[in-house]
Amino acid sequence: MNAPLKIVVTGPVGAGKSTLIRTLANGGYVDTDARATEAIGKATTTVAMDHAVMDIEGATLHVFGTPGQERFDYMWEILAEGALGTLLLVRADQPADLPKARQILEFILSRSEVPYVIGVTHLDAEEAWAPQEIALFLNADPALAVGFDPRDPKDAIRPFVRLLDALNGRK
Amino acid sequence: MTKQEQITKLLETLKRSLPEVREAMVASPDGLPIATLGSQDTAARIAAMAATALGLGRRIAQTTHLGNMKEVVVRGDQGYFVIYQAGEKGVLGVTVPADANLGLLHLEAREVARALAAIL
Repeated sequence: MNAPLKIVVTGPVGAGKSTLIRTLANGGYVDTDARATEAIGKATTTVAMDHAVMDIEGATLHVFGTPGQERFDYMWEILAEGALGTLLLVRADQPADLPKARQILEFILSRSEVPYVIGVTHLDAEEAWAPQEIALFLNADPALAVGFDPRDPKDAIRPFVRLLDALNGRK
Repeated sequence: MTKQEQITKLLETLKRSLPEVREAMVASPDGLPIATLGSQDTAARIAAMAATALGLGRRIAQTTHLGNMKEVVVRGDQGYFVIYQAGEKGVLGVTVPADANLGLLHLEAREVARALAAIL
Protein backbone atom coordinates (compact mmCIF):
# COMPACT_ATOMS: atom_id res chain seq x y z
CA MET A 1 0.00 0.00 0.00
CA ASN A 2 3.07 2.24 -0.08
CA ALA A 3 3.26 2.89 -3.80
CA PRO A 4 2.21 6.47 -4.53
CA LEU A 5 -1.37 6.74 -5.68
CA LYS A 6 -2.31 9.44 -8.15
CA ILE A 7 -5.75 10.87 -7.47
CA VAL A 8 -7.57 13.61 -9.40
CA VAL A 9 -9.93 16.01 -7.66
CA THR A 10 -12.34 17.60 -10.10
CA GLY A 11 -15.75 19.25 -10.28
CA PRO A 12 -17.45 22.54 -11.17
CA VAL A 13 -16.29 25.97 -10.06
CA GLY A 14 -16.64 26.79 -6.37
CA ALA A 15 -17.11 23.21 -5.16
CA GLY A 16 -14.11 23.44 -2.81
CA LYS A 17 -11.40 21.56 -4.73
CA SER A 18 -8.56 23.96 -3.88
CA THR A 19 -9.77 24.34 -0.29
CA LEU A 20 -9.83 20.57 0.20
CA ILE A 21 -6.32 20.08 -1.19
CA ARG A 22 -4.97 22.97 0.88
CA THR A 23 -6.60 21.56 4.03
CA LEU A 24 -5.01 18.13 3.68
CA ALA A 25 -1.63 19.06 2.20
CA ASN A 26 1.18 17.35 4.02
CA GLY A 27 3.69 20.20 3.86
CA GLY A 28 4.25 21.48 0.32
CA TYR A 29 1.28 22.72 -1.58
CA VAL A 30 1.02 24.12 -5.10
CA ASP A 31 -1.82 26.32 -6.24
CA THR A 32 -2.31 28.38 -9.39
CA ASP A 33 -4.90 30.88 -8.22
CA ALA A 34 -5.54 33.92 -10.36
CA ARG A 35 -7.76 36.81 -9.39
CA ALA A 36 -11.21 36.22 -10.91
CA THR A 37 -12.38 38.93 -13.28
CA GLU A 38 -15.93 37.57 -13.50
CA ALA A 39 -18.61 37.08 -10.85
CA ILE A 40 -18.11 33.43 -9.91
CA GLY A 41 -18.90 33.81 -6.22
CA LYS A 42 -15.27 33.94 -5.08
CA ALA A 43 -12.19 36.12 -5.42
CA THR A 44 -9.78 33.71 -7.10
CA THR A 45 -9.91 30.82 -9.53
CA THR A 46 -7.55 27.93 -10.36
CA VAL A 47 -6.04 28.34 -13.83
CA ALA A 48 -3.79 25.27 -14.06
CA MET A 49 -3.76 22.86 -11.14
CA ASP A 50 -3.49 22.29 -7.42
CA HIS A 51 -1.11 19.69 -6.11
CA ALA A 52 -0.31 18.19 -2.74
CA VAL A 53 0.93 14.96 -1.24
CA MET A 54 -1.24 13.51 1.53
CA ASP A 55 -0.80 10.60 3.91
CA ILE A 56 -4.16 8.99 4.53
CA GLU A 57 -4.61 5.67 6.33
CA GLY A 58 -1.06 4.58 5.56
CA ALA A 59 -1.39 5.40 1.85
CA THR A 60 0.54 8.20 0.13
CA LEU A 61 -1.76 10.08 -2.18
CA HIS A 62 -0.45 12.41 -4.86
CA VAL A 63 -3.46 14.62 -5.39
CA PHE A 64 -3.98 16.77 -8.47
CA GLY A 65 -6.83 19.28 -8.53
CA THR A 66 -8.26 20.53 -11.83
CA PRO A 67 -9.58 24.01 -12.57
CA GLY A 68 -13.37 24.23 -12.26
CA GLN A 69 -14.15 26.70 -15.02
CA GLU A 70 -15.13 25.21 -18.33
CA ARG A 71 -12.64 27.16 -20.40
CA PHE A 72 -9.84 25.19 -18.72
CA ASP A 73 -11.36 21.83 -19.65
CA TYR A 74 -8.20 20.72 -21.50
CA MET A 75 -6.58 20.38 -18.07
CA TRP A 76 -8.93 17.52 -17.12
CA GLU A 77 -7.30 15.27 -19.67
CA ILE A 78 -3.76 16.38 -18.84
CA LEU A 79 -4.20 15.88 -15.10
CA ALA A 80 -6.26 12.68 -15.32
CA GLU A 81 -3.47 10.87 -17.21
CA GLY A 82 -2.39 7.91 -15.10
CA ALA A 83 -4.76 8.66 -12.22
CA LEU A 84 -5.96 5.63 -10.26
CA GLY A 85 -9.02 7.29 -8.78
CA THR A 86 -11.17 10.37 -9.11
CA LEU A 87 -12.89 12.48 -6.50
CA LEU A 88 -15.70 14.53 -8.03
CA LEU A 89 -16.69 17.48 -5.85
CA VAL A 90 -20.10 19.12 -6.17
CA ARG A 91 -21.93 21.76 -4.16
CA ALA A 92 -25.10 20.53 -2.47
CA ASP A 93 -26.81 23.88 -3.08
CA GLN A 94 -26.16 24.37 -6.80
CA PRO A 95 -28.28 21.83 -8.71
CA ALA A 96 -27.68 23.89 -11.87
CA ASP A 97 -24.03 22.71 -11.76
CA LEU A 98 -24.95 19.01 -11.74
CA PRO A 99 -25.13 18.47 -15.52
CA LYS A 100 -21.68 20.06 -15.72
CA ALA A 101 -20.44 17.75 -12.95
CA ARG A 102 -21.82 14.74 -14.81
CA GLN A 103 -20.10 15.87 -18.00
CA ILE A 104 -16.72 16.18 -16.22
CA LEU A 105 -17.13 12.75 -14.62
CA GLU A 106 -18.16 11.10 -17.89
CA PHE A 107 -15.22 12.68 -19.67
CA ILE A 108 -12.72 11.37 -17.13
CA LEU A 109 -14.27 7.91 -16.96
CA SER A 110 -14.34 7.70 -20.76
CA ARG A 111 -10.53 8.06 -20.77
CA SER A 112 -10.00 5.43 -18.13
CA GLU A 113 -12.58 3.68 -16.02
CA VAL A 114 -11.17 4.39 -12.55
CA PRO A 115 -13.00 4.14 -9.23
CA TYR A 116 -14.58 7.41 -8.15
CA VAL A 117 -16.30 9.00 -5.20
CA ILE A 118 -18.67 11.98 -5.18
CA GLY A 119 -17.80 14.49 -2.49
CA VAL A 120 -20.66 16.83 -1.62
CA THR A 121 -19.85 20.22 -0.07
CA HIS A 122 -21.84 23.23 1.20
CA LEU A 123 -24.29 20.96 3.01
CA ASP A 124 -24.98 23.72 5.53
CA ALA A 125 -26.67 25.83 2.83
CA GLU A 126 -30.42 26.26 3.10
CA GLU A 127 -31.29 24.69 -0.24
CA ALA A 128 -28.83 21.83 0.07
CA TRP A 129 -29.65 18.51 -1.57
CA ALA A 130 -28.78 15.30 0.26
CA PRO A 131 -25.58 13.61 -1.02
CA GLN A 132 -27.60 10.54 -2.05
CA GLU A 133 -29.99 12.66 -4.14
CA ILE A 134 -27.01 14.17 -5.90
CA ALA A 135 -25.56 10.71 -6.62
CA LEU A 136 -28.88 9.60 -8.11
CA PHE A 137 -29.02 12.69 -10.30
CA LEU A 138 -25.51 11.85 -11.52
CA ASN A 139 -26.55 8.24 -12.27
CA ALA A 140 -24.16 7.03 -9.61
CA ASP A 141 -24.46 4.55 -6.76
CA PRO A 142 -25.68 6.56 -3.71
CA ALA A 143 -23.14 4.65 -1.62
CA LEU A 144 -20.42 6.57 -3.49
CA ALA A 145 -21.61 9.95 -2.20
CA VAL A 146 -19.89 11.46 0.83
CA GLY A 147 -21.01 14.74 2.38
CA PHE A 148 -18.20 16.64 4.09
CA ASP A 149 -16.67 20.01 4.93
CA PRO A 150 -13.44 20.62 2.94
CA ARG A 151 -12.26 23.21 5.48
CA ASP A 152 -12.17 20.77 8.40
CA PRO A 153 -9.09 18.48 8.35
CA LYS A 154 -10.88 15.67 10.22
CA ASP A 155 -13.87 15.75 7.90
CA ALA A 156 -11.89 16.41 4.72
CA ILE A 157 -10.18 13.00 4.76
CA ARG A 158 -13.51 11.15 4.57
CA PRO A 159 -14.00 11.20 0.79
CA PHE A 160 -10.39 10.03 0.37
CA VAL A 161 -10.92 7.18 2.86
CA ARG A 162 -14.03 6.22 0.87
CA LEU A 163 -12.03 6.35 -2.36
CA LEU A 164 -9.27 4.18 -0.85
CA ASP A 165 -11.96 1.65 0.07
CA ALA A 166 -13.20 1.69 -3.52
CA LEU A 167 -9.64 1.29 -4.81
CA ASN A 168 -9.13 -1.68 -2.51
CA GLY A 169 -12.35 -3.26 -3.72
CA ARG A 170 -14.22 -2.66 -0.48
CA LYS A 171 -17.69 -1.35 -1.08
CA MET B 1 -9.16 56.26 -26.67
CA THR B 2 -10.74 53.42 -24.70
CA LYS B 3 -8.56 50.84 -22.95
CA GLN B 4 -9.57 48.32 -25.59
CA GLU B 5 -8.44 50.62 -28.41
CA GLN B 6 -5.14 51.35 -26.66
CA ILE B 7 -4.48 47.63 -26.25
CA THR B 8 -5.35 46.81 -29.85
CA LYS B 9 -3.11 49.66 -30.98
CA LEU B 10 -0.21 48.23 -28.96
CA LEU B 11 -0.70 44.83 -30.61
CA GLU B 12 -0.76 46.48 -34.03
CA THR B 13 2.45 48.36 -33.21
CA LEU B 14 4.08 45.04 -32.29
CA LYS B 15 2.94 43.52 -35.57
CA ARG B 16 4.23 46.52 -37.54
CA SER B 17 7.67 46.39 -35.95
CA LEU B 18 7.86 42.59 -36.35
CA PRO B 19 5.92 41.60 -39.48
CA GLU B 20 6.57 37.89 -38.87
CA VAL B 21 4.23 38.02 -35.86
CA ARG B 22 1.39 35.68 -36.84
CA GLU B 23 -0.94 36.22 -33.91
CA ALA B 24 -0.84 38.41 -30.84
CA MET B 25 -3.34 38.42 -28.01
CA VAL B 26 -3.92 39.84 -24.57
CA ALA B 27 -5.79 37.91 -21.88
CA SER B 28 -6.59 38.36 -18.22
CA PRO B 29 -4.56 36.21 -15.78
CA ASP B 30 -7.73 34.18 -15.16
CA GLY B 31 -7.94 33.28 -18.83
CA LEU B 32 -10.43 35.60 -20.51
CA PRO B 33 -9.63 37.17 -23.88
CA ILE B 34 -9.15 40.95 -23.80
CA ALA B 35 -7.89 41.64 -27.33
CA THR B 36 -6.56 39.62 -30.24
CA LEU B 37 -5.04 40.23 -33.66
CA GLY B 38 -5.50 36.59 -34.56
CA SER B 39 -8.46 34.35 -35.21
CA GLN B 40 -11.56 35.07 -33.09
CA ASP B 41 -12.50 31.37 -33.25
CA THR B 42 -9.60 30.26 -31.12
CA ALA B 43 -9.17 33.45 -29.06
CA ALA B 44 -11.05 32.16 -26.00
CA ARG B 45 -9.18 28.87 -25.93
CA ILE B 46 -5.77 30.43 -26.41
CA ALA B 47 -6.51 33.03 -23.72
CA ALA B 48 -7.37 30.24 -21.26
CA MET B 49 -4.26 28.24 -22.15
CA ALA B 50 -1.97 31.28 -21.96
CA ALA B 51 -3.27 31.95 -18.44
CA THR B 52 -2.73 28.29 -17.50
CA ALA B 53 0.84 28.28 -18.83
CA LEU B 54 1.66 31.53 -17.08
CA GLY B 55 -0.02 30.51 -13.81
CA LEU B 56 1.89 27.24 -13.78
CA GLY B 57 5.10 29.02 -14.89
CA ARG B 58 4.77 31.37 -11.94
CA ARG B 59 4.63 28.44 -9.50
CA ILE B 60 7.55 26.70 -11.22
CA ALA B 61 9.60 29.90 -11.00
CA GLN B 62 8.78 30.15 -7.29
CA THR B 63 9.45 26.51 -6.49
CA THR B 64 12.76 26.48 -8.33
CA HIS B 65 13.81 29.88 -6.92
CA LEU B 66 13.86 31.72 -10.23
CA GLY B 67 12.30 34.85 -8.78
CA ASN B 68 9.41 36.59 -10.47
CA MET B 69 8.08 34.84 -13.53
CA LYS B 70 8.57 36.81 -16.74
CA GLU B 71 7.68 34.61 -19.68
CA VAL B 72 6.99 31.12 -20.95
CA VAL B 73 8.28 29.93 -24.34
CA VAL B 74 6.61 27.09 -26.22
CA ARG B 75 8.71 25.99 -29.18
CA GLY B 76 7.26 23.74 -31.86
CA ASP B 77 9.03 22.67 -35.03
CA GLN B 78 6.95 25.21 -36.94
CA GLY B 79 7.11 28.13 -34.59
CA TYR B 80 7.01 29.68 -31.16
CA PHE B 81 4.24 30.78 -28.84
CA VAL B 82 5.69 33.11 -26.23
CA ILE B 83 3.65 34.23 -23.24
CA TYR B 84 4.73 37.37 -21.39
CA GLN B 85 3.52 38.58 -18.03
CA ALA B 86 2.08 42.07 -18.52
CA GLY B 87 1.89 43.34 -14.96
CA GLU B 88 -0.60 41.91 -12.49
CA LYS B 89 -3.60 42.10 -14.77
CA GLY B 90 -2.52 40.92 -18.15
CA VAL B 91 -0.95 38.19 -20.23
CA LEU B 92 0.51 38.82 -23.69
CA GLY B 93 0.75 35.88 -26.10
CA VAL B 94 2.60 36.07 -29.41
CA THR B 95 2.99 33.47 -32.17
CA VAL B 96 5.92 33.64 -34.61
CA PRO B 97 7.28 31.14 -37.17
CA ALA B 98 10.29 28.93 -36.38
CA ASP B 99 12.71 31.12 -38.36
CA ALA B 100 11.77 34.32 -36.50
CA ASN B 101 14.41 36.19 -34.55
CA LEU B 102 13.45 35.33 -30.98
CA GLY B 103 15.80 37.92 -29.49
CA LEU B 104 14.14 40.66 -31.49
CA LEU B 105 10.70 39.36 -30.50
CA HIS B 106 11.66 39.48 -26.81
CA LEU B 107 12.97 43.01 -27.21
CA GLU B 108 9.75 44.29 -28.80
CA ALA B 109 7.26 42.16 -26.89
CA ARG B 110 8.72 42.95 -23.45
CA GLU B 111 8.33 46.62 -24.27
CA VAL B 112 4.70 46.03 -25.28
CA ALA B 113 4.12 43.98 -22.10
CA ARG B 114 5.39 46.93 -20.02
CA ALA B 115 3.09 49.32 -21.87
CA LEU B 116 0.15 46.91 -21.40
CA ALA B 117 0.85 46.67 -17.68
CA ALA B 118 0.51 50.46 -17.45
CA ILE B 119 -2.84 50.44 -19.29
CA LEU B 120 -4.54 47.44 -17.64
